[in-house]
Amino acid sequence: MENNLVDAVSKVDQAFLFIFGISFAILFLITAVTIWFLFRYSKKRNPVPSDIEGNVLAETLWTVIPTLLVFAMFWFGWTGYKALREAPEDSMIVQVEARMWSWKFIYENGRTSDKLYVPENTPIKLDMTSVDVIHSFYVPAFRIKMDTVPGMQTYAWFNSGEASQYDILCAEYCGVRHAYMLSKVVVVPQEEYDKWVETGEADSEKPEGMLVLEKYGCLDCHSMDGSEIVGPSFKDIYGHEVTVIENGEEKTLTADDEYLKKAIKEPSAEIVKGYEDMMPPSDEMTDEELETLIEFFKGGMVMEKKGAQGAKVAENEGCLGCHSTDGSEIVGPSFKNMIDRKLTAVHEGKTVEVVADTRYIIDSIKNPDDYIVEGYDGGMMPSYDLSDEDMKALIEFFSTLKDE
Amino acid sequence: MNNNTTALPSFFEDSGSDRKGILSWLLTTDHKRIGLMYLYMVLGMFIVGVCLGLLIRLELIAPGKDIMEAQTYNAVFTLHGVIMIFIVVIPSIPAAIGNLVLPIQLGAEDVAFPRLNLFSWWLYLIGTVLALFSLFTGGGAPDTGWTFYVPFSEFTTTNVNVAVLAVFILGFSSILTGINFITTIHRLRAPGITWTKMPLFAWSLYATGWIQVLATPVLGITVLLIFVERVLGVGLFDPNKGGDPILYQHLFWIYSHPAVYIMILPAMGVVSEIIPVFARKSIFGYKAIAVSSLMIAFAGSLVWAHHMFTSGMSDTAVLIFSLLTFIVAIPSAIKVFNWVATLYKGSIIIEPPLVYALGFIFLFSIGGLTGLVLGSAGTDVHVHDTYFVVSHFHYVIFGGTGFGLFAALHFWLPKFYGRMYNKRVANWAFGILFVGFNTLYLPLFVIGLEGMPRRYYDYLPQYQTGHLISTIGSWILAVGLLIMFVNLYRGITRGKKIGRNPWGGATLEWQVPSPPPLLNFDKEPDTSGKPYSYKGVERDE
Repeated sequence: MENNLVDAVSKVDQAFLFIFGISFAILFLITAVTIWFLFRYSKKRNPVPSDIEGNVLAETLWTVIPTLLVFAMFWFGWTGYKALREAPEDSMIVQVEARMWSWKFIYENGRTSDKLYVPENTPIKLDMTSVDVIHSFYVPAFRIKMDTVPGMQTYAWFNSGEASQYDILCAEYCGVRHAYMLSKVVVVPQEEYDKWVETGEADSEKPEGMLVLEKYGCLDCHSMDGSEIVGPSFKDIYGHEVTVIENGEEKTLTADDEYLKKAIKEPSAEIVKGYEDMMPPSDEMTDEELETLIEFFKGGMVMEKKGAQGAKVAENEGCLGCHSTDGSEIVGPSFKNMIDRKLTAVHEGKTVEVVADTRYIIDSIKNPDDYIVEGYDGGMMPSYDLSDEDMKALIEFFSTLKDE
Repeated sequence: MNNNTTALPSFFEDSGSDRKGILSWLLTTDHKRIGLMYLYMVLGMFIVGVCLGLLIRLELIAPGKDIMEAQTYNAVFTLHGVIMIFIVVIPSIPAAIGNLVLPIQLGAEDVAFPRLNLFSWWLYLIGTVLALFSLFTGGGAPDTGWTFYVPFSEFTTTNVNVAVLAVFILGFSSILTGINFITTIHRLRAPGITWTKMPLFAWSLYATGWIQVLATPVLGITVLLIFVERVLGVGLFDPNKGGDPILYQHLFWIYSHPAVYIMILPAMGVVSEIIPVFARKSIFGYKAIAVSSLMIAFAGSLVWAHHMFTSGMSDTAVLIFSLLTFIVAIPSAIKVFNWVATLYKGSIIIEPPLVYALGFIFLFSIGGLTGLVLGSAGTDVHVHDTYFVVSHFHYVIFGGTGFGLFAALHFWLPKFYGRMYNKRVANWAFGILFVGFNTLYLPLFVIGLEGMPRRYYDYLPQYQTGHLISTIGSWILAVGLLIMFVNLYRGITRGKKIGRNPWGGATLEWQVPSPPPLLNFDKEPDTSGKPYSYKGVERDE
């Protein structure tokens, strides 16, 4: 099984090597012989040409040998192609939906994402289609590329290999945001994948500081919500005054970078009043991780911003392919300061003034061509039938994009 | 006829009609005047296409926005493609050089249908004007790429209708030229010019003519169908109405792949003319070269779907088209080996036409060999629609047809203007062009293999080095082009006057005055010799 998995990439690469090898040899031969002839048979060295009209043997040879070579190349190429097409039976199946200009991945339990999450060392089969024009799903690392065609199913497969991340690019020209139709294959350990597909929480989406805390087991003793476990809670820890006992003497200081670093690296040096000296020094923690952690504390340990749920909906539904969140123009109007904006739009053939309130926005998502904002083209945006929950999350997300 | 044969006025002075000035050109039926009119337009539009290409390269010098918006960029690469393919490369050697040289090489006074020839040129003019017109009218310049892939080309609000109409008209110009040349070759060969004594350039135009006649109508119908789709909404290609977008790709490539051979075959013909003249000996394997032209034209018509290995068509189709594609490689390889073998035991004089022709062989070989990577199914999946294809294509079409055209200009322009350019400058221009060309396109193979897709306005940081080198190459190339064109222009206006046969060629065009008179021949052409036999042929500089 494992052997079969690595096959596709290595077979394709074999074909590359074979064809490139022979091509370099032929090119070198042609060039070297030409230069030699130009030198040896220049008018100076060979004033009288010998008129040769052809040579049956030579011509037969350079017909037959290239013929054999190209058939060998064909065979290598075809073997590589077959490996790319023969998905193992037990492949994990993910549905892929392409649209202008984002990817939507749909997993067996119905979860969707805009990045492709897959477990390690698993054959993955992608069943693909497109909802608008032709796109092409391309992951250079796996040597796979397959067009996604509206009204048609296509497929590709790859072996996910070790945990890592790889670029996904759209390879078939699809309009103004073609170059931004990018995503990632995120290969994670099986347990993490299981957790992600169940809860939608992926380590790769957590703040890095959080990952450090989890890695060193800090959260077994220190809570994040102010409750006491064994040691002091991390909640609001940065910048607070603490009373510590150092060599039996009590003193008060501010929990700044220096203090926190020392408290992590040499926990026994200063003990917070009221706690036991029982934390082991974190010798294995790198300076980089330490910095990340301090930054995480400094930033108030923000796990999710307000509107994060809606941001995820906007990402998953592909809204951000056409609508920016920073006020810049992509294709449609920006989400920045959209809520309660006054705008001019064409409605049923007439130009009207409307306020983009919640009702207007919900209507525009469900029937995009009902009101066409001045300066934009109609017929571009497909209608989205979102659940009430998603709609609410989106509106909350939009409200966070408003300048106060 | 006058006894003093040199007294005949050249075709510049004698238009064969009473019309004067510009009309004596626009309404001429003289193949040489028509050829020059094609040439002026081709070169003019070539410069436009080059400028667009330089803009593309400049935009890609660094990630993010550099000089233009994404929508502008998409229009620029679409135009670069449409102009270069349909207006420059396809008519370049066949229509421009072919019109100038073919009838004289055959010993004819003109093509078989001189008025149809003029009509072809007018269609070409109208198509070109319409293509330019599409930029400034309607909902903005077309942004579909030169391939007009559906469903995108049906949905886009830009001015695709006018652009496809232009392509339709340009297609007819090409078809009529093909018919004209085929008939000319069949009917107007002078006594003594048998099929096996016909110059190889004429052979290549013959093969090209058949592709033009048989394949171009498919393009005409296909682009017309886009027009019908957009205007009437019939739904042939629209999956929402039960249509099939892949059908469009088949129709498009049934023409557009053979079209690549319309572009490259005549350039191969040019190289086959030039090499023996400067090696001072017969072309090696005349029959093999002539037959391989026909082989390429035939086999090349059966390989179109190798552009579609990732389109979702069946694996069986991939198998067949991959196999057929490799078969086309064989006649191309034969030609290259024959050209190199022609140099063997020659008495080689290195002059600009030979230098450009050798440049063709090297660059075309790289283009052809990288084509093997694309013909092989497994490797094509990885590099399809990446910069690897972009580079391969430019090596074949620019390195091949482009350098073939430059070789042809250096070879034949002195004949038609009666003056010689500065040969030293011509060689220097070649050196700069060659360095610039490879600096421009070699890095694109590398980033293509690394996965850089084509038609990207912006790109990931790992591709930056390649793009930067490539853009620098584009400037070197531009300098080379500038020097070459200025030198040619100075040559035809102020160069040293030349005699009938400045290179010592043995084909018939070297027997006529430079420039030739209206009906080409001032005395019966001597067709007793073989086209590549230089015994007794004197250079007449």
